[in-house]
Amino acid sequence: MERVARVTGALAQLGLMLAGTGVVVMTVFIAAQVFWRYVLNDSLQWTEPAAVMIMGWFIFLGAAVGIREGYHLSFDVLLYVLPERARLTLHTVSDVVVAAFGCGMIWYGAQLAENTAGNKVPGLGISGAFDFLPIVVGGVLLVLFSIERIARRAAGLPTLRFGDDHEEA
Amino acid sequence: MELWILFGTFITLLLIGTPVAFCLGAASLATVLYLDLPPVVVFQRLNSGVSVYALMAIPFFIYAGDLMVRGDIARRLVALAGALVGHMRGGLGQVNIMASVMFGGVSGSAAADASAVGGLMVPQMKERGYGVDYAVNITVVASIIALMIPPSHNMIIYSISAGGKISIADLFTAGILPGLLLALSLMVAAWFVARKRGYPTEPFPGLRVLGQLFVSAVPGIILILIIFGGVRSGIFTASESSNIAVVYALLVTLLVYRSLSWVDFLAATKAAVRTTAMVLMVIGCAASFGWLLAFLKVPASLVMALQGFSDNPIVILLLINVVLLILGTFMDMSPLIVITTPIFLPVAQAFGVDPVHFGVILVLNLGIGLCTPPVGAVLFVGCAVGKVPIWTVMRSIWPFYGAAFATLMAVTYVPALSLWLPSVFR
Amino acid sequence: ECEVTLKSSDTHPDGYPTVEAVKFMGDELKAGTGGRMCVEVFHSAQLGEEKDTIEQTQFGVIDLNRVSLGPFNNIIPETQIPSLPYIFRSVEHMHNVMDGPIGEEILAAFEAHDLVGLAFYDGGSRSFYNSQKPIRSMEDLKGMKFRVMQSDLFVDMVSAVGANATPMPYGEVYSSIQTGVIDGAENNWPSYDSSGHFEVAKYYTLDQHLIVPEVLVMSKKTWDGLSAEDQAAVRKAAKDSVPVMRDLWAAREKESEAKVIAAGAEVITDIDKTPFIEAMVPVYEKYVTSDKLKDMVARIQATE
Ligand code: NA
Ligand code: NA
Repeated sequence: MERVARVTGALAQLGLMLAGTGVVVMTVFIAAQVFWRYVLNDSLQWTEPAAVMIMGWFIFLGAAVGIREGYHLSFDVLLYVLPERARLTLHTVSDVVVAAFGCGMIWYGAQLAENTAGNKVPGLGISGAFDFLPIVVGGVLLVLFSIERIARRAAGLPTLRFGDDHEEA
Repeated sequence: MELWILFGTFITLLLIGTPVAFCLGAASLATVLYLDLPPVVVFQRLNSGVSVYALMAIPFFIYAGDLMVRGDIARRLVALAGALVGHMRGGLGQVNIMASVMFGGVSGSAAADASAVGGLMVPQMKERGYGVDYAVNITVVASIIALMIPPSHNMIIYSISAGGKISIADLFTAGILPGLLLALSLMVAAWFVARKRGYPTEPFPGLRVLGQLFVSAVPGIILILIIFGGVRSGIFTASESSNIAVVYALLVTLLVYRSLSWVDFLAATKAAVRTTAMVLMVIGCAASFGWLLAFLKVPASLVMALQGFSDNPIVILLLINVVLLILGTFMDMSPLIVITTPIFLPVAQAFGVDPVHFGVILVLNLGIGLCTPPVGAVLFVGCAVGKVPIWTVMRSIWPFYGAAFATLMAVTYVPALSLWLPSVFR
Repeated sequence: ECEVTLKSSDTHPDGYPTVEAVKFMGDELKAGTGGRMCVEVFHSAQLGEEKDTIEQTQFGVIDLNRVSLGPFNNIIPETQIPSLPYIFRSVEHMHNVMDGPIGEEILAAFEAHDLVGLAFYDGGSRSFYNSQKPIRSMEDLKGMKFRVMQSDLFVDMVSAVGANATPMPYGEVYSSIQTGVIDGAENNWPSYDSSGHFEVAKYYTLDQHLIVPEVLVMSKKTWDGLSAEDQAAVRKAAKDSVPVMRDLWAAREKESEAKVIAAGAEVITDIDKTPFIEAMVPVYEKYVTSDKLKDMVARIQATE
């Protein structure tokens, strides 16, 4: 389990690094757009679609990592009144639901990517499939991290939830 | 039956503690499967729901807020504000509300506003002894002000949904007084809560100290002036001004204060990813859920049920408000404006309600919906920047909901609040 | 109740000519099939923007869709041709082309993309408007910032006349003109009116650079599930709705034109279009690449 956790932990860090790079690149693109528009009095046409696409990447990567690190919002109020065992079972049900939705992201995201692969994204000229790849990759990580949570719980190890103290790294 | 599946799955998952985003997504997926529709549509809506340029202001403001906190801009700004209003009960709560009035022009998006003001104020209020829930409560509800004070993109969506027969200039002007009234009633609520909780007051530190604090806060003040002035004078759009905030915050913390280390920068970036991904994932899944509601004609049926219920204009307006509040609890603002305007506006007009007045009611009403569970983008932003569970916020937010609802009632039944100012400018 | 209810999407609000035309088509279809088939219109982009609803139509989530040609430009090359600037000399010329064999050819091109092209509707003619000054020549346009849709063709067209193309979401245009972020935009009379843009950009230059039809498509999935008889009924009802749509459109244009002029908009009509048309040569070179498309352009130009 520990070894698995090291691998998934590394994956989560990688996902977070990629997503963070995305935020920085997006900042640079829009800053360039502002600079061109107001200082050079010219308009860049590719910055907006590019930044929007990057936003998709870091949202779905970040959302997947969020499952592992437990930073998604949830209503835990009912769970407080339940006994520990029932609570853990319900957490596992939640993780199964998330994993199932992640499978949907992979399968149907791939279908959408395939369907739009022949199109060109306006302003960028790249394949429309890039619009939907983040959903697929995010889905893969979601499934992986959900299974890890279920396995950890089965092994009696703790899993993080929103409102717990996070490791800020 | 399909509605039972949609809402049943959603509420069940919500109660067993599934993350809100996935409650919405899984409920939509289950319903689509039941209806035998191609499930791709759920994931297409999810993707389109987050691929919106205007949403970019949310990550940027959150990022800028985090950089300002880590890079010491925020502390200096709030130290100055604290020195100015510290002798008042809940002074920083009042500052938070005033910040929403000013930033109202910046974003025009309540969620972006909550991320801008909340990212800056909530950590600082926490540090100065205010309850996190109090800070988040105020941030969340005060951000509705952003929708009312121009520029407001939602007013434009309303005008277009109404067939373009309503002057956008009139709508912009009409939102100003209701926005200020909302600010006022929230300030009263903030004062009462602060008094009840016995939040400490600080003695006035004297002009010398105030001057020093001012000087040390100058770069932060310049940032506010750039954003505030830039958007108020209409030079920048919301996404652009939020981007400028990030770039400026980086420049000041790296070059002027030299307060931001590489480690801080990485931490701020990762924090921005975490907070934004969480909020935008909810917004994306809500887009799927909202699509299904539209597909199943839920808003139209609700309105149908309402028509012929009464012929008293006061009752009708109250019912319209209630239905909008219910719908706003589940759906996002702009699709709701698009769907309900063509249905509600003729009803309201038949009872003599001016379309400009109705637009203000609609936007304020749906704005409250953004702050209420189970689905409220602004509420989630607030919880995310405060790092508090929704439940903690819910327990103490009622005085502020009360203030917002009282404002809504005043705006609904006193047309002059909306219509007087446009008539002066016309 | 109808046995088959076709769900139809439109981004325009209720009462708009395209929405009303599809409703009319639904009535015709109901009458033509003895009440077995109906159409239900989801207007005002309730089911999503055009790019999204096109995908939904391809997947068979919705059955009918009224869309502009723009979103197809990067998917179906044939749709680029009627979207070219100054390709049509007048609205009548456009009608003659699209009602004839070339129109049928373009409709047939949708089949390969899981769609069935049913009919072309009018989209009016698009012209430039701005907040700064009356524009009469390309000189006047130089360096001005115009909002365009996020479309390569639109960007290239505006660049070709020497102006600055600024892609921007529709909802942000009003404030951006008001505050000087951009100088203007380009659209047809009804949109110029309904968006309120005439309030902030009063100079409307009637250059009619684009006369682009819009298209009514059906999901191939839905289509294949219909009997040959019902398919014919759908086609007929769609074709029957075209003249209705054109009448509604003409009335709507007149109404909007009168309204914005009464509100103080200044319409500039004394312009020489020749330099504008000449400036489009590189745009045509970029988009009309294959021999097939070149031939189509030649045939359109030869159409009366
Ligand atoms: Na605003
Ligand atoms: Na809500």
